[in-house]
Amino acid sequence: MNPHSTTHETASVKDYFGALFNGIKTTVVGMWITFRYVWGVKSVSIEYPEVREVLPERSRMRLFNDVQNCISCTQCAMACPVDCIYIASEKMPEGAEIKKTSNGQPIRLLLTQFTIDTALCCYCGLCTTVCPTECLTHSHDYEFSQYTIDGMKYDYLAPDVIAWRDRIVKV
Amino acid sequence: MQTRWDIGEPEKPTINADTEQMKSELLVLNMGPQHPATHGVLRIEIWTDSEIVAHAIPHLGYLHRCMEKHSENIDFRGVIPYVDRLDYLASMYMEWGYALTVEKMLGTEVPRRAELLRILTGELQRIGSHLMAFGTYALDLGAFSPFLYAFDYRERILRLFEEVSGARLLYNYIWIGGVWNDWTDEQLERVKTFCDDMEEEAKKYHELVSMNKIFVERTANVGVMSLQDCLDFGATGPVLRGAGYKWDLRKNKPYSLYSEFDFDVPVGTGEQGVPGDCWNRYIVRMKEVIESIKIIRQVMDKLEPGSIMGKVPKIIKLPKGEVYVRTEAPRGEIGFHMVAEQDQKTPYRLKVKSPCFTHISMLPRVAPGQMIADFVATVGSIDIVLGEVDR
Repeated sequence: MNPHSTTHETASVKDYFGALFNGIKTTVVGMWITFRYVWGVKSVSIEYPEVREVLPERSRMRLFNDVQNCISCTQCAMACPVDCIYIASEKMPEGAEIKKTSNGQPIRLLLTQFTIDTALCCYCGLCTTVCPTECLTHSHDYEFSQYTIDGMKYDYLAPDVIAWRDRIVKV
Repeated sequence: MQTRWDIGEPEKPTINADTEQMKSELLVLNMGPQHPATHGVLRIEIWTDSEIVAHAIPHLGYLHRCMEKHSENIDFRGVIPYVDRLDYLASMYMEWGYALTVEKMLGTEVPRRAELLRILTGELQRIGSHLMAFGTYALDLGAFSPFLYAFDYRERILRLFEEVSGARLLYNYIWIGGVWNDWTDEQLERVKTFCDDMEEEAKKYHELVSMNKIFVERTANVGVMSLQDCLDFGATGPVLRGAGYKWDLRKNKPYSLYSEFDFDVPVGTGEQGVPGDCWNRYIVRMKEVIESIKIIRQVMDKLEPGSIMGKVPKIIKLPKGEVYVRTEAPRGEIGFHMVAEQDQKTPYRLKVKSPCFTHISMLPRVAPGQMIADFVATVGSIDIVLGEVDR
């Protein structure tokens, strides 16, 4: 006989009716638990596009770099486990005024490129923890699907991307 | 490979008169790669004779992401997002195991509060993972509503994790030397409320699913992995405990601060069916949820303000050597074998020992002679996560 078979071939009348009663009883108990959810239990789901959840403070969504505070130290690019941050910088031109970041660090290099490939980004947050001026942050913006994968590459020196600052970053 | 399967004396044929004829041609069926019972991308080639499985051959590798090779090129902190993606339903345990490995080589002292917070997050993660296992297992067997109830409660855990770490699934929360962020008192209060609610909820699950006649009939005495088989194959976690063997690394080889905690190790006793069958593996998970709640309550009493990050050099370089650390994840023992070279910023080799890989290798053993529907129940009951199997 099949060792995994669960058929009760030699069940007595008592066993038979016991199993029958048990089957009905446990099913009714389960059904009653489910039935109680029809009324009285508050709905936990939200209707997404109309109702949006407020994300917690530390939520890690799309990266945003505030280039005015960036000192081109490339620490974020080195910390990135998937190498999705591309930074290029050159020497400041002679006689240029050395600006300071919001926390007082002098900007000695001229940032020429700061691109993040968001399609590669794994949202681990390691780059934001090493940033000395805290200009690279995770915003709370999570709706940014694109038609092409190139569209996921954001150049943070582009004017339209700089304009995000007013929209998505809480200052 | 095409051998006839043998389940002893053939049963008396009822419809097909010629049993020999019936057995001579086996039908090859592919279960997966996207079968709902496999929770990931696992293809199982099953050779069936009408409704009965003759062989089951798992084909792995659909979720292979070269994590071990990748980690040889990333610094020690950067590996943590990669180990997150091993068992994505219990990421905290993956991080924890990896962090313990590096800390053991570095000789880092982890502050007491950080250790307690690790245990807190770990046990919450265990509840979350077992809720997922519970919900999807009921779903595999045709019950839809338990899945929704389980997800409601898992959502509360995920919300807490989201607030404390910033992500819902791949946290990067447990760091080498400690944890990233501290929990606020308000969040800890919510954990307490959650524990109280969860205990009530677990009773409801017990009534709704565990004792349900249909569920018991589908799972008890099905897919029996005997204790000898479990020991021979090297099974761990709920699969081994479901077979009745009391083995839990938190109790037997305590790491972190687990030696200070008072909790039981639930084993399958054969209350329904026999130890080692699907029902016992399932009930071990549900009992572990209660034990985790016990541990969380004890963490709450022990928590005191303090530092959450130990002294770790800015650029981590390990001494030459190798170390193997294993921890008790929700699905079994997860082991990290790290080989490091002197003055290297990256691991020389990082080998991951995955519990689910062992459990999948037991499937060809238990499958022959099962009905296809029972085989689905067996695959669901070992609660595999393919990210961990394929790495």
